[in-house]
Amino acid sequence: MATTAAAPLYTSTYEGSQRGLWSWITTVDHKRIGILYLITALTFFLIGGTEAEIIRMQLMHPNGALVSADTFNELFTMHGTTMIFLVVMPLSAAFFNILIPLQIGARDVAFPRLNAFSYWVFLFGGVFINLSWFLGAAPDGGWFSYVPLTTLQFNPGLNIDFWVLGIQILGVSSLAAAFNFITTIINMRAPGMNLMRMPMFTWMAFIVQFMLILAFPVLTIALVFLQFDRFFGTQFYELAAGADPLLWQHLFWIFGHPEVYILILPAFGLVSEVLPTFSQKPLFGYPVMVYSGILIAFLGFGVWAHHMFAVGMGPVADSVFGVTTLLIGIPTGVKIFNWIFTMWGGNVRYTVACKFAIALVALFTIGGISGVMHASPPADLQQTDTYFIVAHFHYVLFGGSIMGIFAGIYYYYPKFVGRLMSEKLGNWHFWLTFIAMNLTFFPMHFSGLAGMPRRVYRYDAGQGFDLYNLISSYGAFLLAFATLLFVINFIRSWKKGAVAGRNPWNAPTLEWSMPSPPPDYNFAEIPTVTSRYPLWDSKGVVVKQKEDEPIKSARELGIAMPLNTIKPLLVGLFMTLMFSGLLFIHKNNWPMAYTFIFGGAACMVASLYSWLLSPVE
Amino acid sequence: MGPESRARRLSAAALTATLAVLIAACAPAHPNSIFHNHTDFNREVGHLWNILFWLGSFVFVFVETLLVVTLIRFRKREGQPAPQQVHGNARLEILWTITPAVILAFIAVPSVETIFRTEAPAPANALQVTVIGHQWWWEFDYPTLGFKTANEVYLPIGRTVNFTLKSADVIHSFWIPELGGKRDVVSNRTNYLWYTPDSVSDDVFNGFCAEYCGTSHANMRFKAFTVSQAEFDSWAKHEASPAVALDTGSTPRASARTAAAAPQAAPSTASFIAFDRSKIPAYAVPATPIPAGLTIDSTLVGNPVEGEKLMATSMDALCMSCHTIRGNPRMAGVIGPDLTHIASRSSIAGGLFPNDRHHLELWIKNARLMKPGVKMYTFGVGQFDPETGKTSTYGKLTDQQIADIVAYLQTLK
Repeated sequence: MATTAAAPLYTSTYEGSQRGLWSWITTVDHKRIGILYLITALTFFLIGGTEAEIIRMQLMHPNGALVSADTFNELFTMHGTTMIFLVVMPLSAAFFNILIPLQIGARDVAFPRLNAFSYWVFLFGGVFINLSWFLGAAPDGGWFSYVPLTTLQFNPGLNIDFWVLGIQILGVSSLAAAFNFITTIINMRAPGMNLMRMPMFTWMAFIVQFMLILAFPVLTIALVFLQFDRFFGTQFYELAAGADPLLWQHLFWIFGHPEVYILILPAFGLVSEVLPTFSQKPLFGYPVMVYSGILIAFLGFGVWAHHMFAVGMGPVADSVFGVTTLLIGIPTGVKIFNWIFTMWGGNVRYTVACKFAIALVALFTIGGISGVMHASPPADLQQTDTYFIVAHFHYVLFGGSIMGIFAGIYYYYPKFVGRLMSEKLGNWHFWLTFIAMNLTFFPMHFSGLAGMPRRVYRYDAGQGFDLYNLISSYGAFLLAFATLLFVINFIRSWKKGAVAGRNPWNAPTLEWSMPSPPPDYNFAEIPTVTSRYPLWDSKGVVVKQKEDEPIKSARELGIAMPLNTIKPLLVGLFMTLMFSGLLFIHKNNWPMAYTFIFGGAACMVASLYSWLLSPVE
Repeated sequence: MGPESRARRLSAAALTATLAVLIAACAPAHPNSIFHNHTDFNREVGHLWNILFWLGSFVFVFVETLLVVTLIRFRKREGQPAPQQVHGNARLEILWTITPAVILAFIAVPSVETIFRTEAPAPANALQVTVIGHQWWWEFDYPTLGFKTANEVYLPIGRTVNFTLKSADVIHSFWIPELGGKRDVVSNRTNYLWYTPDSVSDDVFNGFCAEYCGTSHANMRFKAFTVSQAEFDSWAKHEASPAVALDTGSTPRASARTAAAAPQAAPSTASFIAFDRSKIPAYAVPATPIPAGLTIDSTLVGNPVEGEKLMATSMDALCMSCHTIRGNPRMAGVIGPDLTHIASRSSIAGGLFPNDRHHLELWIKNARLMKPGVKMYTFGVGQFDPETGKTSTYGKLTDQQIADIVAYLQTLK
């Protein structure tokens, strides 16, 4: 299996114009865009993590005074916003980009330039929101930004403006990407790759794209209302005009709860790739895994109001949403058992990737159980808005999404880099993360049940919160150290890791049939697929290119490749500048506002035309 | 793979041990625990919690055991044959679809029953208390008894209390963990929450705002005192009475308006006017540190007569524009807490500081430093106003004047 090549083959397949910084800025290659997503999102992970560390330092002891009340409110708002919109979603997008075309046997995504556009909009949106720190006006309304607290009446600064506009910008990115991937998956599967032969990750990604295009517009509507209220004097959320603040809450959570599954399903997909490989056994109950994923997504749109049991919706609504929420436990439970039975009877190899995948199964179960605990509305009235909830969703999002994503990174790193990450350092990373994660978040169950409300920047001594908070803080510090090991491993292995070869794990799916990293055109010849696990099934796939042959360039093979272009970046940049012009309205600087809004719009339209008029290949 | 699974077992054992120690170590000191059966509401929740906890624990132990057994039993060993390529098992998969459904039914049925019980209209004879959430303090209005107070709510033991929840500004959430679940206090809406503190003695409970409501969300606390019906009646009678006028004859100045607005009831002779401060347990005594650099000359002797004059008439103090003191006709502001019987409260500033001379003086001197974001101005002369970042333009009161005001406030038993 091992190749004797001394360096990753990635660069060798690219011609002169495909190297250097400029080639990354103008790239339309899905694998490179995926790597850009990955590195950007990991950078935001460090930023969001730093915010969490400051929060834990503040709460380490009673009446902590490291940061002010306002700064603390900014920190938890930005921690949540960053981790959801700038870390977990784009990390999933990184895997969508890197994997979907490879897994379905395609040359690229359906719209490579739109794909580049999605990335640049995400980057500019993330930078835009974070620029608020430098103006001393970071968003401070919580990641849920409930009105009326976020209306101009109660929050006249630029803080919420940054949040509203930033999330709008990021929504553009997510929607463009979602349409792109749906088109790709529907239209570009290799011959023989019918839907029920698709790798589970692509299946989960497919479901997530539909959730995105159904959920994000609802948030967009809520945001447009708020944006118009703040900038143009409409009264959707204006208390004096009789507004009902629950309008925002309903709209937000109709987005917000599907969002939870948007965050977790890609990780479920990754784990469903990792566990079969390291058990050397097919995924247990593949069709049921597909159906349960669809069912989770479907039910996910019918449970939003379980975030609102305390708002006084009345007994009928509380009952209905309580029961639908319980129902989601069924397909989720099915997935857990199917993963365990994927390993049952296998030869489980405990690589770092496999350990992270197992950790997801173990830890998501805890988050699932505590989730059922607050699906019961009367019980939830004692749990909601306490640290019990903080514990719950960190078990789901850290124990679930992040663990799954780490599994995916260790598993796929050799595919997109060509070199393996260090298992030794990886083991340290895994065990420290596993221990630190539980040390940080498990005591939060206790502090919540002991009566500690969420989002408080200080608490008195002797309330029964002290010890749990102290342990949580030490856990968080250990988690930071573990993450540092990951960063070191990630960077060092890029140049110094062991050469991976095509299929270092003996994995069954199509992406492992090609060189690591794959050439820009992916498949020299589009394969024909006859099985769900083509590489384990000798007749499953026809791969023309032999491993020991030198990799030919696209030109030598006569494959037409899309041209690199800067224009998607420009469109994204000018769109962001156009949005940011609105900020000047609240500074009463109308000349600047007009310049940015109309200048940005004009430049955006111009670059859009120029994009559409430039040749594809 | 031997050492690794040993490491896994060891760390699992270590984790369990840590948690056991943890639970054992902190069992006694949980003054805000949700598990206290002081009310019908919390007994209902406790019953549901027991179902949830035991079913949850069962699922947890079952799944994690199955996982660990699988991991140990099916780890890769040298010379093992390739595993059998099993693709699924319809019977098993149906089993683990139905089993969770049955378990969840055992949760759903009692949950729905409890919802309809706890969200039914309150009994007609319940004590009515209107709770109004403000950024960042609580107003308690006893409409049937004719008075308002702030940040401390008294409840008679054994009688159902029906809280009518309203907001003066943003969304808050009213929560006394030991007495019952929380209910959001939503702007432009009215919510209700009722329960019966029926298995308590005279006691004090901490209350919190549980919905993020802006800068001082963490500083929006309150206290609930449960007292006997007789004590409650006495307390309510006292609270309903106007503030006792100072016996200097200088207040209140007689006028037609005064006479109409505040018929001078006789000073209250109630026997129980407040929960005995010495009996308030430590967890209900605020311990918020005083901000560095904020001091006041504690040797000054305040003159309550001067203080009353300042509060009711001085444009340097402005107290009357926000606060009410029933019985003092010039003090009729409605923005801030009702101060009629402030001296009988145990805490000030949304449960943030104990109610004593020193904290009151500092509060008047620079409330915004004491509690971030608070609406009350910084009144101490030359004081820095953290909201504007400049010396407070309202800072006109000297330490002596502040001591006078506090001396007056302390007469308002």
